Amino acid sequence: MAEKIGKHIAIYGKGGIGKSTTTSNISAALAEAGYRVIQIGCDPKSDSTNTLRGNNYLPTVLDSLREGNKIHLDDISVKGFGGVLCIESGGPVPGVGCAGRGINAAVNLLQELNLFEEFKPDYVLYDVLGDVVCGGFAVPIRDGITDRAYVVSSSDFMALYAANNLFKAINKYAPTGGAKLGGVIANSMKPGYHREIVDDFVAKTGTSIAGYVNRSLDVQQSELYGKTVIEAKPESAQADIYRNLAKYIAENENLVVPNPLGSSELRDWARSWGDRIYDIENGVVNGVAEAI
Amino acid sequence: MSNVIKNPRNGCALHGALQTVQEIRGAVPVVHANAGCGVVNYLAQRNGSGGGARYSGFSIPGTAAQERHVIFGGASRLREQIKNTIKVQKGDLYVILNSCESAMVGDDVDAMTREIVEQGEPVVDTLVAGFNGGIHYGYEHVLADILKSLDGIFKSDIEKDERLVNVFGIVPDKDPYWQGNLIEIKRILNGFGLKANVFFGATGSVHQLKNAKNAAVSIVFTKWGELPAKVLKEKYDVPVIIRPSLPADANGVQELATALAEIVELDASKVDEFIADEEDFENSILYRVRDEIFEYGLSKTAAFIGEEEQAIRIGGFLKNRFGVEFSAIVLTDALKKDEEHETDNGALLAAISENVYIANDQKEINDILRGSGAEVIFGSSLEKDIAGRLNVPLVEVSYPIVDRVILNKTSVGTNGVISLIEEYVTVVKEYDVRKKEIASSIVRGVQGGESWQERLQKKSYSNKLSSITELQTREYISAQR
Repeated sequence: MAEKIGKHIAIYGKGGIGKSTTTSNISAALAEAGYRVIQIGCDPKSDSTNTLRGNNYLPTVLDSLREGNKIHLDDISVKGFGGVLCIESGGPVPGVGCAGRGINAAVNLLQELNLFEEFKPDYVLYDVLGDVVCGGFAVPIRDGITDRAYVVSSSDFMALYAANNLFKAINKYAPTGGAKLGGVIANSMKPGYHREIVDDFVAKTGTSIAGYVNRSLDVQQSELYGKTVIEAKPESAQADIYRNLAKYIAENENLVVPNPLGSSELRDWARSWGDRIYDIENGVVNGVAEAI
Repeated sequence: MSNVIKNPRNGCALHGALQTVQEIRGAVPVVHANAGCGVVNYLAQRNGSGGGARYSGFSIPGTAAQERHVIFGGASRLREQIKNTIKVQKGDLYVILNSCESAMVGDDVDAMTREIVEQGEPVVDTLVAGFNGGIHYGYEHVLADILKSLDGIFKSDIEKDERLVNVFGIVPDKDPYWQGNLIEIKRILNGFGLKANVFFGATGSVHQLKNAKNAAVSIVFTKWGELPAKVLKEKYDVPVIIRPSLPADANGVQELATALAEIVELDASKVDEFIADEEDFENSILYRVRDEIFEYGLSKTAAFIGEEEQAIRIGGFLKNRFGVEFSAIVLTDALKKDEEHETDNGALLAAISENVYIANDQKEINDILRGSGAEVIFGSSLEKDIAGRLNVPLVEVSYPIVDRVILNKTSVGTNGVISLIEEYVTVVKEYDVRKKEIASSIVRGVQGGESWQERLQKKSYSNKLSSITELQTREYISAQR
């Protein structure tokens, strides 16, 4: 494979956890900082880049493949906010066909079209759907397509479970040239114990936090306007959170191979947190302070 | 790490199902797979000895699925293909064979089949992904699925026929003698006053499949027939008799009659008369080669390479009647660990040889043969090379036999055992004649005629020569004097 043009970053996470929102805001922040950015949505829903391109129609790579016509880069890409090149891989209708194979085919096609040689990006972000359920969804972290992956997770158990699955995939593929982990993006952070849970999880798995993103009305509002926070509310504190996150991701070279927890280990860990949360919510005092 | 498997002799489940459906008259296969799956099977069959079936090679209807059918699902492509096939190929039954891709993608072929059946077309589907198993798996699963589905398509009442016997376990095109074997089984069952319900080949069709539920009994001749026979047992209460092998000779015919008599009412005097005739016929024909049997010493040390049923049948016969000593038996239709069958023939095989191996790799087989000390090999055309190197005669009995055509010749029953002995004696005799020719050409060279090197250049005896030692030559010359 020829030398890679730009840094290629895959962003994973459980469905609905805020991957696309986070990825789009990172892309927008990088573009704002003057970098050339490509964001590739690897999800049959094909809505990863919506907020970058004001919800305008964009034919997906697989739609074009289905038509069987010769495909040109112009047909499947559009420039969005700050010149971010938006691409959606697309996929089959739900319940039919093989989405994993679809992502594989779309990524191969983009390489055949010399996307990176033509656009010369500084950063390429792959927004990959949901859990790593099969080989197809692991394509962006295999074969040297990306060299780093981030995972978006809240403090919910299922989100951390999905993150742990990604760690397993990285653990498997990293020794043969697959991507390593850049860190966990802690999303939807609320006051209280939420940070602590994610902090404990990264400590247990030998990984680190790339940034904390608080739950914020600005995000919801901007989405409803069809824009990223960077574009809709550039002066807001939330926009700065994304800018800092983008800066961290752009500069971070501390890539690790995580140590995923085993299934029972993960369950036991979650159970221990279940007990702690109960105590916190109900004001139970443990340990040395019990005597007070 | 995985190793190379040289000359594997079993295709995948799709191939097994395809060659099964191809041999049912009136059945039209529709292969839902990428282009090439059907053709590969055709090429393998062409190299075999049985010739092509009605639908073979490039004339097999298929979806030739491409990447877009994998990504977006191939069900609509299949619908199109079935409709087109029905338009251009008249069939009594259309059998959709689903391949690996269809299984991986999860195409809802059952729903598609129901849709077309509701439109009045006779269609069944079966999932025979290559990764599920080999040819034998394909045979038993396609047959089981067809038998399960037939009632939903052709509604008919059960009309039991107390004379009708279903024949299971003979995989079409797998034993080079499959067609002749079915004909011989039919002849034997007729001799017992029964009617054979044979599904494949010259005398089998969709009609026989439809009639299977009315049979008095199903006979399973190899473990690969268990599954479809059990379908009929569960759905229609057709009893099952499981035999370790097809009958090898008149004795085998007698054993078959005994097994059948436990379930079906047989006319004892008719059966006895038939078996006595069979024995007389077999003995009177084989009597003719008595001199050859002693002259060439046919109770040799031998090795057998082939399927389990053949090993039990041919190996057992040669050991018991000719005193052949099997120093190695290699089974080439081995089961995967997770494919369970009721029949366990381990003890039977152990009685024929102490050394029973399971192998599908030619190198492994050759290594076994090298260490076996066999004076004769019973195997396939794939053993020709090693037989030449070991300088021992080869009797071709198992798949594949590539250098001749076998149409309706049998290797089972009275007629089969006669053919087998004919073949055994011929091969050993030819080998002996060739050996003498080589030796005499050397002698002529020694005695001052045309030098044997010159003769060798004219005729390619080189392979055989390597084994003729100087000592043998001298012995031969002194014997001539």
